Amino acid sequence: MREAPLLAITDLEVRHGSVPAVRGLSLELRRGEVVGLIGPNGAGKTTTLHAIMGIVRPYRGSIELAGRSIRGLPPERVARAGIAIVPEGRRIYGELTVEENLRLGLVARRARNGAANPFEPVLALFPALRDSLERRAGALSGGQQQQLAIARALVAGPEVLLLDEPSLGLAPRLVDAVFEALAEIRASGISALLVEQRAQRTVAFADRTHVLANGELRMTLGPADAGDTNRLVEAYLAS
Amino acid sequence: MNVLQTSIDALALGAVYALMAVGIGLVFGVLRLVNFAYGQLIMAGAYTLAFTGSWGDPASIAVCVAVVVTLSVAMELLAFRRLRGASPATMLAATFAISFLLQSIALLRYSFANKPIGDSVGTLSGLNRSLRLGSAQIQWITIVAIVVALVVLAALGLFLNRTSIGLQMRAAAADFRTARMLGVGANTVILLAFVISGLLAAITAVIFVVQTPLVTPDFALRDTIIVLVGIVVGGIDRLVTATLGGFFIGVATGVLGDTLPSGSRVYLPSAVFALVILVLLLRPRGLFAIFGRAPAERV
Amino acid sequence: MRRLNASLQLLAPCALVVLVGLGGRATTAGTQTEVWNALVNVAIVVGLYVFVGNSGVLSFGQISFVAVGAFAAGLLTVDPTVKPNVLPGLWPFLAHHSIGNVPSLLLAAALGGVFAFLVGLPLMRLSGLAAGIATFAVLEITHNVLRNWTKIGPGATTLALVPGTTTFAQATLGALIAVVVAFCYQQSRFGRQLRATREDPAAARAAGIDIHRQRLLAFTLSGALCGFAGGLLVHLLGSIDTEQVYLDLTFLTLAMLVVGGAQSLFGAVVGALGVSLLDTFLGNAENTVHVLGLRLHLPGGSRLVGVAAAMLVVLVLRPSGLTGGREFSLRLPRRLRAPRAQAPEPR
Repeated sequence: MREAPLLAITDLEVRHGSVPAVRGLSLELRRGEVVGLIGPNGAGKTTTLHAIMGIVRPYRGSIELAGRSIRGLPPERVARAGIAIVPEGRRIYGELTVEENLRLGLVARRARNGAANPFEPVLALFPALRDSLERRAGALSGGQQQQLAIARALVAGPEVLLLDEPSLGLAPRLVDAVFEALAEIRASGISALLVEQRAQRTVAFADRTHVLANGELRMTLGPADAGDTNRLVEAYLAS
Repeated sequence: MNVLQTSIDALALGAVYALMAVGIGLVFGVLRLVNFAYGQLIMAGAYTLAFTGSWGDPASIAVCVAVVVTLSVAMELLAFRRLRGASPATMLAATFAISFLLQSIALLRYSFANKPIGDSVGTLSGLNRSLRLGSAQIQWITIVAIVVALVVLAALGLFLNRTSIGLQMRAAAADFRTARMLGVGANTVILLAFVISGLLAAITAVIFVVQTPLVTPDFALRDTIIVLVGIVVGGIDRLVTATLGGFFIGVATGVLGDTLPSGSRVYLPSAVFALVILVLLLRPRGLFAIFGRAPAERV
Repeated sequence: MRRLNASLQLLAPCALVVLVGLGGRATTAGTQTEVWNALVNVAIVVGLYVFVGNSGVLSFGQISFVAVGAFAAGLLTVDPTVKPNVLPGLWPFLAHHSIGNVPSLLLAAALGGVFAFLVGLPLMRLSGLAAGIATFAVLEITHNVLRNWTKIGPGATTLALVPGTTTFAQATLGALIAVVVAFCYQQSRFGRQLRATREDPAAARAAGIDIHRQRLLAFTLSGALCGFAGGLLVHLLGSIDTEQVYLDLTFLTLAMLVVGGAQSLFGAVVGALGVSLLDTFLGNAENTVHVLGLRLHLPGGSRLVGVAAAMLVVLVLRPSGLTGGREFSLRLPRRLRAPRAQAPEPR
């Protein structure tokens, strides 16, 4: 018997004004999985994450975390329920120190009764941050800022991690580092919904990758499809 | 004109204006709202002191704090909370309306009873006495004002930099949406800003009331306007620059008020405001906004 | 259909103005002055709207143009045989000359426009709070100069003995003129370009719109209308004092605009008339008034409380203003038309 999904989205519709940005989207995230979400710009990927996070209110559809509806909850409640997001563009606090940025990640955790020192495992994952704890976050390199954004989300001890284009603007070597970190995160039992532009890498890495175009789910690909460029192109261009 | 006297008096005015700037700046940071009605909070505090004068200073001041903080929180709960996401013009107009409302309620006192406008206050009147410092006559309240402002600002600094909730407030001011996504409670942080803002207004009221023992419905209105100008000239985007702006315009007002010979003093406001325009044209983000990029826009 | 709608958009505020004017004629002398005052307020708020509503930039300085217009029109219509005695410090040219009623209004408009143009040249670069404070500084400077420069005006004293020519015809026509001018502007290419910058400055710039120039144009026009309104005002009151065209009027007119709906001409008119007439009504109630068979007597001073409270309530319940920032239209608002619901962003 299949375990109930950790995160279940059913028939989601989100509108910007009267224009639907996401339409009839259904997807599941089970424990320990990484599900990818790829598609062209404006396909509705970020909107989906924002709907989960409570930044936009869905027009229709349901969003459930471990069976409990989180639809319509304000962002802070969603965060405290156990979903952490690594936002598009990182959105770290440049004027605060690295340590302060990490401490902010704790806000959601404390509300859910976390224990022990939450910084340690995260710093073990991103050792470069350990040396920069007192530095202004704005002084870090792009790659380090991305690591900080992911670390900050992990510090909250989430059950579900949402990532919005974590490899955006990073050099290939740094992209590798991001995916390596994601592999370790998956191995530690955290489930993740990964929105990405890099279609091939995502399809190869994720347990399952959905292709979104024009707000609708076009097809679902598995790791085996990573080498099949034709299928990828077909998915992107289908309308 | 006595240099020492002018300097200390101007410093005190700058100190109090800095307190006001923080009170206004804190709320602006989390809400992007310029609370023009801040002066009415001070007015309410002053009136409370006037009405409770016979209760003794400690009790009187305690009640003043309670009343002002309650009023500040009420502004948020009854008005501003419903205006989240409204245009800046609407929010500003709402603060005008609140300011009119509170002023006109205060005016009722005099129109009902057909009294001349003004209530006298005796709080801490002992501080009106002065002491000699060299060639200067400094009122005790001047020194108290400087000390109190320093202590309060230091305490606030510690609060914002060393506590978790202070960190959350700083984050909310810099990028509210991301802060919420990290679990920072929007309404909690905003409410806290209004509480602290009210506290600062109450302290300001006590100081003003000692310096000007007559309360009128437009008490602190002129000061609020000057502080607002100072905040924007200093740089409203960050609390530090806003506070510096308030401080410097206070000092400038104090110095210029004392140093200019009375003949040419009539056009002083024009000179000052012409300077304000010049500064804004050259540095629209504020005089002290030297470092850092603009904070992320609040969505 | 579009033509009809456009005409309706002009007709509605005009009709309101005329109705109020006619209504004023039918009331007692005391109330009449207040009704003409309401119409003058329409002219001021419409002048304010031309800039603030179309550009989305808050200006606290428009009342300085009202002031300039009021003092100029007032000063130059006082009987020149009396002027030198009452205002001994005046420049001889000003002391010994006077002009007629309509020329004074035209002069007021011209001066308001020129002043606004000169002020706007540097200031229209600014946006947001910087613009707000800078225009506020203009208000302060104007007030300071008018209050102290006795060569060009009465200084700190009240300028009196101004002919009271603003009665039914002048008030109503004046308000109508303001409305028509504002409407023509907003329908024009310039008005539409400016509104585009309000919605999305970056996109507008990319489309080739010169933001500075469009703002300057609106600001100048606004200055002219405000100056004109100042002329109307001084001829209504028969006198003018610097405090009457300073902070209180600034905050009041801005609040009127926002309460009515800052983004539409109809909103400006509705806001000005609504608040002014409420104030008049409450003022009458302070002297006992009979409404719907009930006797209403308000204690003195409570009219201000009533007006302020009403404005606050409107803003809190309807942040986009009474008209929602929309012009008058026969079409039902979206909400009532289709059954599908909108999903706004939660806050």
